[in-house]
Amino acid sequence: MTSDSADVPVAAPMRASSLRGHATDLFGRAWLGVLIAGIIAVLVLPPAWTLLRTSLGTIQNDMSLSGLTLQNYADLAASPRLATTMLNSIVFATFATLVSLIFGGVLAWLVERTDVPMKGLAYLTTIISLGTPYILYVTAWLYLLGRAGPFNDIYRGLIDPEASPFDVNSLAGMVMIEGFLWSPLVFLLLSSSFRAANAEMEEAARMAGASIAQTMMRISLKLAWPAILALALFVFIRNLESFEVPALVGMPGRVDVLTTEIYRSIKEMPPRLGYASAFSVVLLLIVSVLLFFYGRISRHAERYASITGKGYRPRPFLLGKARWPAACFILFNFLVVLLLPILALVWVALQPFVRPMRWAALNFLTTKQFAAVLTSPHYLELGINTFIVAVATASAVMLLTLFAGWLAGRRQIGGVVSDQLVTVPLVFPGLVLGVALLELALRLPIPIYGTLWLIVVAFMIRYMPYGMRYSFAGILQIHPELEQAAGVSGAGRGTMLRKVVFPLLWPAMASGWLFIFLLCAKEMSLPLLLAGPNSQTISVAMFDLWSNGQGGEVAALGLIWAALMTGVAATFHIIMRRQSAGTFGH
Amino acid sequence: MLDVERLSKIYVNRGDGPAGGLQEASFSLSGATFFALLGPSGCGKTTTLRCIAGLERPDDGLIRVGDEIFFDATQGVSVPMNLRRIGMVFQSYAIWPHMSVFENVAFPLRVARDEKFTAGELARLVDEALARVSLDGFGSRSATRLSGGQQQRVALARAVVRKPRLLLLDEPLSNLDAALREEMRNELRRLQQEIGVTTVYVTHDQTEALEMSDRIAVMSQGRIVQMGQPQEIYFRPANRFVADFVGTTNWLKGQLGETRPEGLRELTLGSGRSIVCTAPTAAPANAHVSIRPESIALHAIDTSRPPETNRLEGSIVFAGFLGVMNRYQVDTGDAVLQAYAAASAQHRVGDRVALDFAFRDAAVLPE
Repeated sequence: MTSDSADVPVAAPMRASSLRGHATDLFGRAWLGVLIAGIIAVLVLPPAWTLLRTSLGTIQNDMSLSGLTLQNYADLAASPRLATTMLNSIVFATFATLVSLIFGGVLAWLVERTDVPMKGLAYLTTIISLGTPYILYVTAWLYLLGRAGPFNDIYRGLIDPEASPFDVNSLAGMVMIEGFLWSPLVFLLLSSSFRAANAEMEEAARMAGASIAQTMMRISLKLAWPAILALALFVFIRNLESFEVPALVGMPGRVDVLTTEIYRSIKEMPPRLGYASAFSVVLLLIVSVLLFFYGRISRHAERYASITGKGYRPRPFLLGKARWPAACFILFNFLVVLLLPILALVWVALQPFVRPMRWAALNFLTTKQFAAVLTSPHYLELGINTFIVAVATASAVMLLTLFAGWLAGRRQIGGVVSDQLVTVPLVFPGLVLGVALLELALRLPIPIYGTLWLIVVAFMIRYMPYGMRYSFAGILQIHPELEQAAGVSGAGRGTMLRKVVFPLLWPAMASGWLFIFLLCAKEMSLPLLLAGPNSQTISVAMFDLWSNGQGGEVAALGLIWAALMTGVAATFHIIMRRQSAGTFGH
Repeated sequence: MLDVERLSKIYVNRGDGPAGGLQEASFSLSGATFFALLGPSGCGKTTTLRCIAGLERPDDGLIRVGDEIFFDATQGVSVPMNLRRIGMVFQSYAIWPHMSVFENVAFPLRVARDEKFTAGELARLVDEALARVSLDGFGSRSATRLSGGQQQRVALARAVVRKPRLLLLDEPLSNLDAALREEMRNELRRLQQEIGVTTVYVTHDQTEALEMSDRIAVMSQGRIVQMGQPQEIYFRPANRFVADFVGTTNWLKGQLGETRPEGLRELTLGSGRSIVCTAPTAAPANAHVSIRPESIALHAIDTSRPPETNRLEGSIVFAGFLGVMNRYQVDTGDAVLQAYAAASAQHRVGDRVALDFAFRDAAVLPE
């Protein structure tokens, strides 16, 4: 009953032509995947290998590498610096994580789940502070809490004219500044998970007779716990890897952590590359282990996520009398995260040299610093350099991850390999990647060292995982049948990608591009190691200016740069909105 | 027109539910046939369709349309999907949101390799296709501003605009609401007959398959278990699975006994009562009899039994009024049987009734 046609031809033996047919067929499907996976491998694998190789070798006087030895690791283990810096790193990262988690977490809960006033202010603060270069932030706080800053100044005026109780160049200072630096991101991520949480679970607890506090402790916190834990680990890793705060705040006060120790040994004359590499490998291993646990916890967190998609907003908790103290918390956040740093920067930028905030000093207000920055061809060149780097990196990364994301999302040949290779750079702290590329560039026969292209390559490696997140998520949102429909309609793979996938992916790609562009425009640790005399970028210049004590110019340059970047981001955003409105008719 | 021979596709441990493989499916269709692949999810019907479309590469077998071989495992031939010239409507319709209705429909013409169309021809063909699905004048609309039914029509227009050799429909009505679904059923069938294209239609809805098709293949666990005209499938199901899946049926278990003339057999039920039914000669002694609810008539106990009819008595355990009719469940002691009666019937739960069904309406079916 199963077959209407009874005469079935006898199976012919496999012929050579069919084998060849199979081979060309396979090649036709595989070449794109092989090409993309190959490019990613060439970018990602050599730095890791170089780092490991250098850490296991001896550097000769002519910078060549020889031998296979554990000497560097033995030195490391014998050095008291390892224990000190490791302890500093852990204390720094732990407490900074706690500060940003508590600060950002409470803020997120207040804004998302209660009837606290001034919610808009919390968002505004967060958005603006996310666009500000870290180094700008850090210098603002260095001034605020520094010897000449208003806090010490007020203390001296009111209590003890001789004392400076706030010592910013200390572990405590680092913890505070780093904590405030990350709290906006914590706020953003936690508020989205508070928003997505299924309010019916809380309402069920309330109906069952639980008080607000009981509901919070027994239901809300328990449900959010995996998400909070995953976020805490993520911030902890970021803090371990961070370089800006340890370099600007810690190093002048001789408080060294793992990253600054690596930086020091590179900048010594002659540079101790083997030692730095061994240190980097240690840091890399720590981060890898932590990332492994992060992956496990965040998978667990996803299982707890109970997004209903019903699109209704849960009834907020009514705070009653606690409404206004809660509002003060939001105001405090605005003050600490946005207003004070910006005021400090403006003040410093408008003064001929760094001095306390006094009425008397108003007489010395000057636009000299701004004029210096705006008229200098040097800064213009730096700005152009930075733009070139950021545009080149963002475009290259998005182009590469566009294909990689499609291959991975559609389970094509080479997709899985590309996907795994792309995530490798996540274990590289920026500084470690810088060390690895520095060593690689010094040994490569092509003269890439000291050019902007080395920085572009470094940024590409570093931000590939971010680009992949955008393109992969974008691909997953495109129903596979949209592609299959193109194929059945008669389009080949190239036409299908060009006419269907790329146009639909365009919004995701553009936001990924902007994100990477902004990151490149403000990242400091990589260019600091890799920039040659003719390939300086804005953030490197700011670091150098600060090291030379030219705080005023740093502030002026930083403010102008931040305003420019905010402008770029806003313009881009508006264009994007129009574009997608045109395309998708929303 | 379409020949499929020993088509097999095995999925190796896909990890997400039952593997929807396909084993040795064979059928051949003559031109302009409307052919339905009917079965529960995971039975292999969508896999069959996707293999014909070229979206999946079969492990073995042969697919031929007219005299062109699309796929032949023994010769290593596999025509890429974009060169097969097939029209397909996807379950999600797959209307590209960044193109207008016109551009969506024009796409197959624009990417055609073997033919080039002038702007005038293209516009004429697209308008013609849109008119066929009653969407005249919708060309400039954005594809995102369409209702579900309109998207469905655009997908259809796109599938037929190039005069495909074969039209493949993958559960196209499952995303529509009930009223629209009935309307589209008629319209699909009308369109198919108008353009006379051989059509393969995948569905899990037996009513759709019965109403629309010239032929139906019922699939289960990767195999075609029965193939034939709708009436054949419904009235002479090949086995218990088909009887259960296509339509509703009652089952009685018993021991086959004495043979009667004209292919009839006696069957002794668990309670000792016996009925007369049809049975294949090779049927095992332990048999299952299928009786469709609509072939059972409900009578009062004191009426007389018509000739050539079985009668079982029982009491009503459930009565449901559906508007067009009444649905009763009657416990006969051997089983609870379902039966329909006119809307005017007034039996109540607890009433004793007689269930009458013709000898030929009770059929022993193989496993």
